[in-house]
Amino acid sequence: MNAWVQRLRRELFATPLDGLISVVLLGLITVAGVSLLRWACGGARWAVVQVNSTLFAVGRYPLEQQWRLWLLVALLAAASGVGWGMLRSHPRPDRGGILWPRNDRIAVVCLLAAALLLPALLGLALAVQLRWWGLVALLLLLRWLAGRWGPSLPLPAKRLLPLGLPLLYLLGMVLIGGGLGLAPVPPSAWGGLLLTLLEASFAILLCFPLGVLLALGRRSELPVLRWGSVAYIEFIRGAPLITLLFLGQNMLGFLLPGGLAPERVWRAAWVLTLFAAAYLAEAVRSGLAAVPRGQLEAARSLGMSLPQAFSQVVLPQALRVALPTMVGQFISLLQDTTLLSLIGLMELLGTARTVMANPAFLGRNAEVYFTLAVLFWCCCAALGLGSRALERRLDPAAIARSG
Amino acid sequence: MSAHHVDPSLPGESAAAAVMIEARGVQKWYPNGYHALRGCDLTVRRGEVVVIMGPSGSGKSTFLRTFNALEDFQKGSITVDGITLTDDTRHIDAIRREVGMVFQQFNLFPHLTVLDNLTLAPVLVRRRSRSEVRKQAMALLERVGIAEQAGKYPGQLSGGQQQRVAIARALCMEPRILLFDEPTSALDPEMVREVLEVMQNLAADAITMVVVTHEVKFARQVAHRVVLMAEGEVVEEAEPETFFTNPRQERSRRFLDQIL
Repeated sequence: MNAWVQRLRRELFATPLDGLISVVLLGLITVAGVSLLRWACGGARWAVVQVNSTLFAVGRYPLEQQWRLWLLVALLAAASGVGWGMLRSHPRPDRGGILWPRNDRIAVVCLLAAALLLPALLGLALAVQLRWWGLVALLLLLRWLAGRWGPSLPLPAKRLLPLGLPLLYLLGMVLIGGGLGLAPVPPSAWGGLLLTLLEASFAILLCFPLGVLLALGRRSELPVLRWGSVAYIEFIRGAPLITLLFLGQNMLGFLLPGGLAPERVWRAAWVLTLFAAAYLAEAVRSGLAAVPRGQLEAARSLGMSLPQAFSQVVLPQALRVALPTMVGQFISLLQDTTLLSLIGLMELLGTARTVMANPAFLGRNAEVYFTLAVLFWCCCAALGLGSRALERRLDPAAIARSG
Repeated sequence: MSAHHVDPSLPGESAAAAVMIEARGVQKWYPNGYHALRGCDLTVRRGEVVVIMGPSGSGKSTFLRTFNALEDFQKGSITVDGITLTDDTRHIDAIRREVGMVFQQFNLFPHLTVLDNLTLAPVLVRRRSRSEVRKQAMALLERVGIAEQAGKYPGQLSGGQQQRVAIARALCMEPRILLFDEPTSALDPEMVREVLEVMQNLAADAITMVVVTHEVKFARQVAHRVVLMAEGEVVEEAEPETFFTNPRQERSRRFLDQIL
């Protein structure tokens, strides 16, 4: 306790000026916090969120087909549990044998609290609440199993596990959209958080390879490739996303071969992808510039072909440098999906606007926007956490220090 | 007699030993018009150690780097291990598989462990089995005296250790020729010796080596021939004793006055 007091004194009240600044700031934070709390618990009417929680989650997805989404969420929870456990069991000296490091225990407490509190606060039926508890239990169970027995899996099995992720993504697409015997649910019925995450993940996954290719093209010795890449990147970066979105709704139909972009939802996803690729290319380019020329020369002098040298030597280093910038762009991409509401898609913001337009919930804008902000914050925080974990894992210096 | 013309016979070897590198009249201009190589000749035979010396800016590194096509050239011809360098990338790749290179700045791959630095190219390029290459790599690390660092990353090693790893990495491709581009110039003085010792051992194993260096002692003890370059030309080519004690060219004498 004494140490805490000393630390507080040192960090907040080292000099009279420090003390004054600390007192003023702490006062402001307290006032803001208290009034927010008073609004949340007193003035706010959360019925607008409780009644419309399904709408915010999945939009007008047909009720009788929603079991498919539950199944998808269960699969995602399982995959998260396995991934979490496998990453933790990574044979790093500082983790030797510790199944539940401190950060993981904190995460478990947060997860359990969220599973118990959120469904209750949303006023969900007990049956639905039970499903959420089950999902979290599944996640934690697999986290435990993977952490406990993951390391003893044979190496080929460990190598194959990541391949499950693209499969899961395709399976998710089938579950959401239908096909393979499932009744089709047209994209116009997708909405809310489901549509937001779908658009964002589609764009993030596809803009990555595109961006890397553009960055390589920009450094190519072939003039056609180089000038083509430069022209593309500069055109996209010179236009606001919203104009490109409107343009895409009107033009992609002609540009993409028939059938690839028939639906407004997919047109928007493609525009987001092509837009993000241009920015990602610049991030990758800065990463490429950070790799010394000697690396390519060393790889080439060992007889590696240009593709081998890039894929094994240059790109791994460049992408590690570019990772924080890239994740920053993924985060803004996720937030940019709100623009889709302006072209009439029912993603989170679009759904929110229809809810607020309902006379029954007149004047409840603050509650709705607050919920939206928290939802986006959670998604972005998850992306940020994941990227920092990845950065640590890819940094040889950090691995070296821990060893 | 022209300075380029030197008795090709080697101490202790037959004059019939196969020619490994044959460079004739190599000229290079940089895109800005600078004439970096002004007609350089060099013949390197199997098992020979040739040291190239010269003041900075003399084109010695550039000349060395033309042998495995890290630098292009505009006139003349270079034949390495029977393969003539052309723009054909298949020829370039074939030559690079047979020619190892050690750089001034080591250029180890920082994202891979020492062992993976060695095994990457043999597995990718020569398509050899990973376990077999690993065994060979460990033997090579043993040979350069750093087997115990196999699991570390290059950033954790000293400069001298890194350069020894770089030599082992080049050897792991089982090259027929090794090129050294100022291998000790980026090292702290106390680490120069450990690297030179490794190179000396390689020379004793009759590996064909072309070394650009300023290390006079190494040149004297290890080289079969010393080549002096200045202003993009080969000024003199001689056995080390002759070169260091009784150079024929005035330019060589001035250079030796500066470094000895």
